[in-house]
Amino acid sequence: MGSLGALLEGFATAAQPEYLLYALLGVTLGTAVGVLPGIGPAMTVALLLPLTYSLEPTAALIIFAGIYYGGMYGGSTTSILLNTPGESSSVVTALEGNRMARAGRGAAALATAAIGSFVAGTIATVLLTALAPSIAELAVTLGPADYVALMVVAFTTVAALLGASPARGLASLALGLFLGLVGTDTLTGQQRFTLGVPTLSDGIDVVVVAVGVFAVGEALYVAARLRHGPVEVVPVGGRWMTGEFWRRSWKPWLRGTAIGFPIGTIPAGGADVSTFLSYAVEKKLAKRPEEFGRGAIEGVAGPEAANNAAAAGVLVPLLTLGLPTTATAAVIVAGFQSYGIQPGPLLFTDDSALVWALIASLYIGNVMLLVLNLPLVRIWVKVLQIPRPYLYAGILLFAALGTYAVNFVVDDLVVLLVIGVAGLFMRRRGYPVAPLVVGLILGPMAEEQVRRTLQIGQGDPVALVTSPFAAVAYGLLAVALVVTVVLRVRRDA
Amino acid sequence: MTSPEGSGPRVVSRSARAEEYVFGALVVGLGVFTLVDATSIAARGSMGAVGPRAFPYAVGVLLVVTGVAAVVATARGRLGSAEDAEDVDPAVRTDWVTVAKLVAVLVAHLVLIDVAGWPVAAVALFFGAAWSLGAVWWKALGVAVVLALVVQVLFASGLGLSLPAGVLEGVPLLDG
Repeated sequence: MGSLGALLEGFATAAQPEYLLYALLGVTLGTAVGVLPGIGPAMTVALLLPLTYSLEPTAALIIFAGIYYGGMYGGSTTSILLNTPGESSSVVTALEGNRMARAGRGAAALATAAIGSFVAGTIATVLLTALAPSIAELAVTLGPADYVALMVVAFTTVAALLGASPARGLASLALGLFLGLVGTDTLTGQQRFTLGVPTLSDGIDVVVVAVGVFAVGEALYVAARLRHGPVEVVPVGGRWMTGEFWRRSWKPWLRGTAIGFPIGTIPAGGADVSTFLSYAVEKKLAKRPEEFGRGAIEGVAGPEAANNAAAAGVLVPLLTLGLPTTATAAVIVAGFQSYGIQPGPLLFTDDSALVWALIASLYIGNVMLLVLNLPLVRIWVKVLQIPRPYLYAGILLFAALGTYAVNFVVDDLVVLLVIGVAGLFMRRRGYPVAPLVVGLILGPMAEEQVRRTLQIGQGDPVALVTSPFAAVAYGLLAVALVVTVVLRVRRDA
Repeated sequence: MTSPEGSGPRVVSRSARAEEYVFGALVVGLGVFTLVDATSIAARGSMGAVGPRAFPYAVGVLLVVTGVAAVVATARGRLGSAEDAEDVDPAVRTDWVTVAKLVAVLVAHLVLIDVAGWPVAAVALFFGAAWSLGAVWWKALGVAVVLALVVQVLFASGLGLSLPAGVLEGVPLLDG
């Protein structure tokens, strides 16, 4: 098969000592920053993105890949060992893993999370390798109307279907779309919403917005209600891997992978949904369901595997369609764009060497993370204990540095501050921030595709729905909307 | 031990409600601004095709509609729930003074970059933020100085991106 050969070539690139070093750097940074409380994967990638600007694209993308996977691993350590839950994608891990740790079985919880993440990450990367080229081939045949349909589906699911409040989710999306409008119109060369400020005529950088909304917004939000006093970390106790450990873990790992990967590939909110589903499934299948809520290892193994499988699944639409379905994916797209590379169907033909080196580095990164996580867990525990004033001061400093390093203009820091304050209030009032970032990155693409569709259709809006693919996509979206509304009404009744 | 934090009926405070109204109103306001400002975008030679105004109109309408929806939801008593985070204490009141201090520190940082150079601005930002959040001042200052110098050297030597050295211009290692 052609893609196998390409993958081997990718390995040949990624296995060069220099690139191995970059991969190691990426996974280490990703884990270290991911372990820090309050920093999710999206913020990790956004904060570290500017550091890669001086590198060539292959090296930079290998580092991103490491940061992306590393951030996922790091988050689980935090939720198992810290007494307070956080970061939505690992909340269920916190539930069971934290109970296990408190019951003196922290070692087993960490091990099942790390090995489960490795198993799921590797299987999901194999699936990505197998599926991505054929999906990319299919995607080449899609017209602008089909892309519009895919983006409408992504907008709706990310903003309206997943959050607690559809109105707030859509408002957040609209804010992102507005930020995407600022700048120079690509078709007519006119300035829009720049208020006459020259810096704004190039548009608002996605990195600035992502760092503002995640890093500054989060730091201000936490500062307003900071938990004072010493950081409580649960000591790592118990035995790492016993016969019972393997017996009880392997099936949840595989089931988690089977749940996580498909959910990651469709625009359904990525990791969160898959972890909750996996948790529910494990609870249902458990021989001793009474253990759930009191530290069941299956409740850590399944969701952690699902989380990582979904993270790999998200890369399928990202690489083949150029469609980010989570905030983290949106930041990664921004990273690609900063090198003038547009993820999408042509990526596999135009930048084939690059994309296969990236995929190969995902395999390598997974192995590194397994090695890095288990033996080095004591180091991550130290990272967890960083006193909070220094932690949040550091987040603010690196947020400002990352923003400034994009263009070396102070104006960007003003934008950062404004977005950060907006992020603070969005968090306080239950407006999800992910739709904003997704809207910002997809908005301009959606506008372009709509205009292209109507140009081809000579201004007839029917052209947006007549392609069979688009019609099917809208149909499925309508079904999903109806199902969600029915479920909500039933739950509220 | 297992009792969930903040259990019991959530008290809808008046200030939370006010905040909700203000934020919703701001979203509506931004939408109106978008709609009004969009009319000033010249749509030259507008044939049947979609010009540069259509998408802004759509976004403006979406902002107005969702903002109104949020305000209406608030009026009906359905407030958004604040996000949880590891380091947030749900039991304490909002400390606006600290937030204001952090914003002031960020403003000082962006002013200082051009005036005194990045290292000085970075020290001000880190020290100011850590101190506002409760760190011991001399420890915070020490960490800030070390951190700023390390980053400055790393950027100047390693990454090939040089940050403005400002008052430290010409100092070896620091000035890229």
